[in-house]
Amino acid sequence: MSFLQSNIYYVGAFGLILTGLLIVLVKHNLIKVIIGLSILDTGVNMFIIAIGYLRNGTAPIFSSPEVESVLMVDPVPQALVLTAIVIGVAVLALALSLSIRLYRHFGTLDLRKIKELKW
Amino acid sequence: MVNPVLLIAVPLGLAFTVPLIGSASRKLTRFVPVIASLFNLILCIRLFPAVLEHPIVINLGGFAPPFGINLFVGHLGLLFAGLISLAGLIVSIYSLSYIKTGMVVKYHMLYMLLLTGATGVVLTGDIFNLFVFFEILCISSYALVAYVGDRAGIESSIKYLIQGTVGSSLLLIGIGFLYGLFGTLNMADIAQKISTVEQGSLLVPLLLIVAGLGVEAAVFPLNAWLPDAHSSAPSSISAILSGIAIEVGLYAIARIVFTVFGISDVYLFLAFLGILTLLIGELCAFAQSNIKRMLAYSSIGQIGLILFALALASNNSVTGGLFQLINHTLSKGLLFLSAGYMIYRSGSMEISSLNGMGKRMPLTSLAFTVGAFSLIGLPPFAGFPGKFLIVSGALLQGQLVINILVGLVLLSTVIEGTYFFKVVQGLYFRKADADITPERAPAAALVAMLILMLLIVVLGVYPEPVAGFLNTAASDLLDKVSYVGSVLR
Repeated sequence: MSFLQSNIYYVGAFGLILTGLLIVLVKHNLIKVIIGLSILDTGVNMFIIAIGYLRNGTAPIFSSPEVESVLMVDPVPQALVLTAIVIGVAVLALALSLSIRLYRHFGTLDLRKIKELKW
Repeated sequence: MVNPVLLIAVPLGLAFTVPLIGSASRKLTRFVPVIASLFNLILCIRLFPAVLEHPIVINLGGFAPPFGINLFVGHLGLLFAGLISLAGLIVSIYSLSYIKTGMVVKYHMLYMLLLTGATGVVLTGDIFNLFVFFEILCISSYALVAYVGDRAGIESSIKYLIQGTVGSSLLLIGIGFLYGLFGTLNMADIAQKISTVEQGSLLVPLLLIVAGLGVEAAVFPLNAWLPDAHSSAPSSISAILSGIAIEVGLYAIARIVFTVFGISDVYLFLAFLGILTLLIGELCAFAQSNIKRMLAYSSIGQIGLILFALALASNNSVTGGLFQLINHTLSKGLLFLSAGYMIYRSGSMEISSLNGMGKRMPLTSLAFTVGAFSLIGLPPFAGFPGKFLIVSGALLQGQLVINILVGLVLLSTVIEGTYFFKVVQGLYFRKADADITPERAPAAALVAMLILMLLIVVLGVYPEPVAGFLNTAASDLLDKVSYVGSVLR
């Protein structure tokens, strides 16, 4: 198997992470920035899942003796990602509700026009 | 023995009873944070003798480390938990009279979640659990910064949220790398296995974790959110953000860099970063005309100083750094709390509008003066032993680079003195524009400020017992072998 094929999950995960970071850095619309944060989160979650994933792996249930333990997928990263998704949803909800308030105050979501506080 | 899990469980449980109590009576909710932080403070004092003998390790869920999540209550953890509950108690007494309008019920609930998250970060022994508690701390502080709901509050809250979320994602990627390398999330287990891989592959996770935590700890250049957030939040929240939230971030950096990684090559880099943060913070504070922004930049400077002291990684300097950390929590809390009522009375955050406050609000001005003098490091306040221990500990190392950095620390103290003296001079020796009518802050606020003033003076006059305890806390941070040994028995 080629390098790309065997590491396709990592390539995809870091592709998402870098795309998210790029969106956060260059976009001026707040909603797009929040979408960027969401993509970044998804990339991180995929990276953590990929650490414990095995191709053709099975669920780690030890009750059936015919399944060998080397073929089992590591369940810990999946539990971590479940927690991380919940946290990500909370942050996203807070960010969107803040942007509603921001729009009411400023009448715009363009981050270039919202610059009242400076160094 | 009382179970240290209660330090996290009781505030967390009470936080979610606040809306229920609030549906019966909105006025009753403001006493819940007082009760919770008083409970935590008493629990910390009761745990103190047991922790002095040996650190307490609690296995949550019954799995022995390295498999389950464990709490590690050592000297350092107990010190931080005690400091959080003390600052939490004082600020919640202050909020009894300060927070009157707006969404009172939500304020108290978020405030308690913030304290829960901070306590969890300092007690946990599992690196993913640290991330979860860190997120509880961060999310509640994003919401609290926006509490007032004005233009500045919302704008700074959204800035804080974007930067904080990117930081948390970097932290999570770093944790993912560590899990991939070692197959464990237990900090003691990682610390034990860290020497089995070559150092080059540790650089990426170390950088990601330090950068992620550095956003919350406001280490330069990741601190652009701090002056906005701290100056737009209500003063009670500014006090807790400056006194607790950024210190907890710093604790997490120190715990991971010293105890988990223990790579001594990065210490000098962190010391340089600390000095840079210190100089930039103090220089920006010098240029401010808004009192709360000035205090916020001064927090950045103090964080830099503490980071410098911790990064020297000798027992003496870390003791000094922890002493300065306690001093910063107390005196910056005092400064924000007293400035809160002075702003409330004068109606403006400009430093010039505080002229003549010494006659108008004598006790509040005295509190501001004590806080300012303690932060500069004048005796007999708590800042003097703190800075003295840092400087003497650093000079004991005897390296030329460190001596030059110490010179910069002293230079920044002069800058700090200049801008604080300017404000204090205005308080007492300049004439107010308007007529003078003596006024007072409410009793609850005065009690909170008096407790803080008393603590600062007592710590400044009798530093030895505290410094002795901090010395053992410093070895708790630096001594990796005994940390690993006490968790993985």
